[in-house]
Amino acid sequence: MSTSIQYLLRRLGFYAIAAWAALTLNFFIPRMMPGDPASIIFARFRGKLNPEAMVALRETFGLTDEPLLGQYFTYLKNLLSGDLGISIAYFPQPVTEIISTALLWTIFLAGTSLIISFSLGTLLGTLAAWKRGGRLDSFLPPALAFFGAFPYFWLAMVALFTFGFGLGWFPLRHAYGDAVTPGFNLPFMIDAIYHAFLPALTMVMVSLGGWMLSMRNTMITTLGADYITFARAKGLPSKMVMLKYAARNAILPNFTGFGMALGFVLSGALLTEIIFSYPGQGYLLLEAVRAQDFPLMQGLFMTITLAVLGANWLVDIAILFLDPRTRR
Amino acid sequence: MATRKNDSILFRWIKGIIHNKKALSGSLLVLSFILIAAIGPYITVDPNAFLDTPLSPPSFSHWFGTTGQGQDVLAQTISGARQTLIVGFATGFFVVLIGALIGGISGFYGGKVDDVLSMIINIFLVMPGLPLMVILASWLPPGPLTLTGVLVITGWAWNARVIRSQMMALRDRDFVSAAIVSGERNIRIILIEIMPRMLSLLASSFIGASIYAIGAQVGLEFLGLGDVSTITWGTNLYWASNDLALLTGSWWTFVPTGICIAFVSFGLTLINFGIDEVTNPRLISERNWRKYLPKGKGNDGITPVIKTHA
Amino acid sequence: MKDKTFKMFSFHCVHQYILKLSSAVLICFILIFNNCVQHEKTTGSPPFVISQEQVSSFVRNFNPLIPSGSSRWPTVSGIYEPLFIYNSMTGIYVPWLATGYEWKDGNLQLDVTIRENVTWSDGQPFTAYDVSYTFNLKKTNAALDPRASWGYLKSVEAINDHLVRFKFLRIFVPGLHALTEQSIIPKHIWENIDDPVKFTNPNPVATGPFTEILRFDHQIWELGRNPHYWQEGKPAVERLRFYAYPTNEQATIALINGEVDWAGNFIPAIDRVFVGRDPENHHYWFPRVGGSIFLYVNTTKQFLDQVEVRKAISLAINRELIVRVAMYDYTIPAHPTALADGLAPWRSPTATENGDWVEYDIERANEMLDNAGFKKGPNGIRLLPDGKELFFDISIVSGWSDWIRAAQVISQNLKLVGINTRVKTRDFGAWLSSMQNGEFDMGIAWTEKGPTPYRLYRGLMSSEFLKPVGETAEVNWHRFASDEVDSLCVAFEKTSDKEEIKQIIYRMQEIFVDNAPAIPLFAEPSWGQYNTKRFTNFPTEKNPYAQISPNYPPENLLVLVNVEPK
Repeated sequence: MSTSIQYLLRRLGFYAIAAWAALTLNFFIPRMMPGDPASIIFARFRGKLNPEAMVALRETFGLTDEPLLGQYFTYLKNLLSGDLGISIAYFPQPVTEIISTALLWTIFLAGTSLIISFSLGTLLGTLAAWKRGGRLDSFLPPALAFFGAFPYFWLAMVALFTFGFGLGWFPLRHAYGDAVTPGFNLPFMIDAIYHAFLPALTMVMVSLGGWMLSMRNTMITTLGADYITFARAKGLPSKMVMLKYAARNAILPNFTGFGMALGFVLSGALLTEIIFSYPGQGYLLLEAVRAQDFPLMQGLFMTITLAVLGANWLVDIAILFLDPRTRR
Repeated sequence: MATRKNDSILFRWIKGIIHNKKALSGSLLVLSFILIAAIGPYITVDPNAFLDTPLSPPSFSHWFGTTGQGQDVLAQTISGARQTLIVGFATGFFVVLIGALIGGISGFYGGKVDDVLSMIINIFLVMPGLPLMVILASWLPPGPLTLTGVLVITGWAWNARVIRSQMMALRDRDFVSAAIVSGERNIRIILIEIMPRMLSLLASSFIGASIYAIGAQVGLEFLGLGDVSTITWGTNLYWASNDLALLTGSWWTFVPTGICIAFVSFGLTLINFGIDEVTNPRLISERNWRKYLPKGKGNDGITPVIKTHA
Repeated sequence: MKDKTFKMFSFHCVHQYILKLSSAVLICFILIFNNCVQHEKTTGSPPFVISQEQVSSFVRNFNPLIPSGSSRWPTVSGIYEPLFIYNSMTGIYVPWLATGYEWKDGNLQLDVTIRENVTWSDGQPFTAYDVSYTFNLKKTNAALDPRASWGYLKSVEAINDHLVRFKFLRIFVPGLHALTEQSIIPKHIWENIDDPVKFTNPNPVATGPFTEILRFDHQIWELGRNPHYWQEGKPAVERLRFYAYPTNEQATIALINGEVDWAGNFIPAIDRVFVGRDPENHHYWFPRVGGSIFLYVNTTKQFLDQVEVRKAISLAINRELIVRVAMYDYTIPAHPTALADGLAPWRSPTATENGDWVEYDIERANEMLDNAGFKKGPNGIRLLPDGKELFFDISIVSGWSDWIRAAQVISQNLKLVGINTRVKTRDFGAWLSSMQNGEFDMGIAWTEKGPTPYRLYRGLMSSEFLKPVGETAEVNWHRFASDEVDSLCVAFEKTSDKEEIKQIIYRMQEIFVDNAPAIPLFAEPSWGQYNTKRFTNFPTEKNPYAQISPNYPPENLLVLVNVEPK
């Protein structure tokens, strides 16, 4: 068991380094951008600039003339204490407050569609590989690949305007309706699922094919292994061979991909959110970039990165349970 | 001698692709779009000219109708292909180049070099792509160069990882050991002995990366992060959405471009299916490598080397 | 072996669990589809739904002092109120929290009488001391004074409950405008706030028609009536409601679907898209009360530094086409004096006559450029004296699609007179700093606005804001200065005599038309849409009691108090 803990700690160490790299990148990129946020605020105001007001505002945003390295350490120190600074676009709201609810919605939407797409894709892939050359195997992969070829947002646009705007079957925006109060109550939860349905559907449509194919392909390789032949020769029921012998082993690499895919799914979710006005991090990010809101941009990038890293770690733990080899 | 052998590998491979139905139809699809991109702009009307009533439906004078500004949609769709495909394939090329370089070095040398390089690869792999792309793209001046750069930065790591694993597998093979023993230089071993055996992997990596690049590029441009004064498939969609094409029911302003993007990506995916099917039976000892193939967007592939970078 | 069975068991469990989960999800959806009916409960009169801000989620901020954009609309003019409201349709200052003003001491002192019988929404009386407190708070917190009122103010003092005295450092009559528009805050609340710059003021106490936050979520919030409002029987609307529409597209969908009662959006092809959906109730009005949109040319660059060249460029521009293609015919080509409809009474007849260079005349443009000595080279592009082909960038903010379209038209036009240009889109920050630093060739941008054309021409031609290239200039990005305009500005700032003001403005226009320091393109319309299904008494072309757009505080207050439920 101690080796497992060692393994998890090693992974944790890696994620810590990855997080540090991301945070460092996160610090330097926005600072290389041209333009000064304080003057941008005033320019939006389209009025006369008052130099004294500028100086005062710059101080409030923590934009000092300190050397970059000094600013960098202050930044790291603030991060460790959970202080992401003050948003410029939503001045004077702290960034953490703006991000927190948005992050929950993004995780809900992206997580749900990822889980649906992963489990459905894996299941279909298993079936397709089991009955190789069958109807499922010859028809579904190209069809799904065709759907997967469309840009996420394009399908989202078409879906929104057909089923939302045209037919009126689904809501046009937001994560829940006006009539429900957010909280742990059934009407709210049902409403939230109802609102997430169409965005999640488009994301599942686009990503399903990938999961199915990779599962199908690993499954086919696994099915060629000796132990499968042996299990079949032993006369075990074919369903048992398929699920407990073949699929169980074939799912492992797919599962590693799950953690990796989270980053991509989040990216896709960000675009989908923008189309569906879903109150997640996607539109927030775009807004932050347009307003040159460094602190918000940094906060978003950081939370998304940490979410991906955290999910990867969870996948590591899951793999530990599923794959005995990691525990050796 | 060695070159001769490689020629025949290449030859067999190309022959296999031509005889594979999926690969052939995919290639034809992609080639026709490349042809359109190459000669299209010379045979259409000026895609920038403000010609007719805005948002007029398809007709004889404008087969695909007009945009919200009265420009010809057909001309815009055709001239949009050029930059989109150039950026897509250029990204695919650089992604594979960098991936082969870093992944190859990492996999071939192993040890400390591998530790450092695979750490870098893995860091880039777990970093969420789109936010990084959006931030980078908004910071750099908009245009095709920026798009390519941003897409390469956020996209190379996956291929590096795949190539590294393949390199590690080939590195232990007898012919490599023999070459090392016979005193051949490492560069030569990598370029002459190993790379040709990775041809199909490199080809499918290139195709996977191009698919990713086309999709991501269109996404960024749709958000207005490209140069919206040029004509590409992404900016076509940006303008369609800007002119509220769907609200006005002007489906013709965004459907042709969307279909074109889907067809190109689908064609490329078909080629990848073909490569997969052609190469796999021949490389029996490398049967596992089928797993490395990026399917579709390249994000969903998997790798068996779970433990190595722990 | 034991270990193995455990794992097999757990996998089996996961499998079953997934099946159960998916069936549960399915049942959920069946429930939802049965539940699909509208669950909106109707209580009392309908809310007045306004779409002004486009945000992905709302942040609870009702601080009227920090620069716009951070506090929720209508914090500065709806929750809080100013002393006077300048009505751009009628051109008069409507007394609001103040009832009158008087210049004294050779225009060095301004006495403002404060309205009686006004109370804050918590029932406390509103007095002149609140007004003086507001201004003095801006003095101690420079971040709250972006327009630098304290650059010309010497002191602000409440003489008694209903009289405030503003003393000026120097004579500066135009300063009146900024003073009248200041939102006034309650002293008895704000004197307990540690840092007014960071204060988000979650539960505002104010004098405006709407002060009670009934509900605040990230996607939606509601603002209720002030129980102590000073205008008897107003506002007629019970509560305002705001939805978070993140994009123009989403806001437009809501507007088309009739979910929004009042908005100030840009909508392409509005007659078909919006009005066509419900011609009886869907209306819009785009009065041209704003300024003009300009093509700025950098007058420090060779070629562009010549008056004749700038006039020729202007002649080459097909403004009709720009207005049609980029602006959907919502506006008209610019007047030679660059004064839009709102300032039309100020137009000088002489300047109007001399400003024939805003017409579209390619032939004359070519002729003028030929005469200026820039001959066409082998590619049909004109050459500089050193033989280089003319090439300029037209800088536009990326995403500002109407201006990008306009720039594309200009670029095509200029090619016809032998000037090669490229439309270059840049991020707002980068664009702004290149414009302000004078590091651009050409660019489309706005102008200064105000109740008189003074601010417009001062910004375009006075040396007050002139900075060398590389330094940030707040206005006058094109870098043009005229001594005569400088002295006209000084004269203007010192006088409150109507006839003298008119003569000064006339002269400024003549100088503008003679020198073409910047090229006016089209008048800037103000966007306003409204739905008369549930509410009436919006300002219209026939009843222009205010401009319709919610985008220009504090004028939107006039609409807020006058709109009535049907």
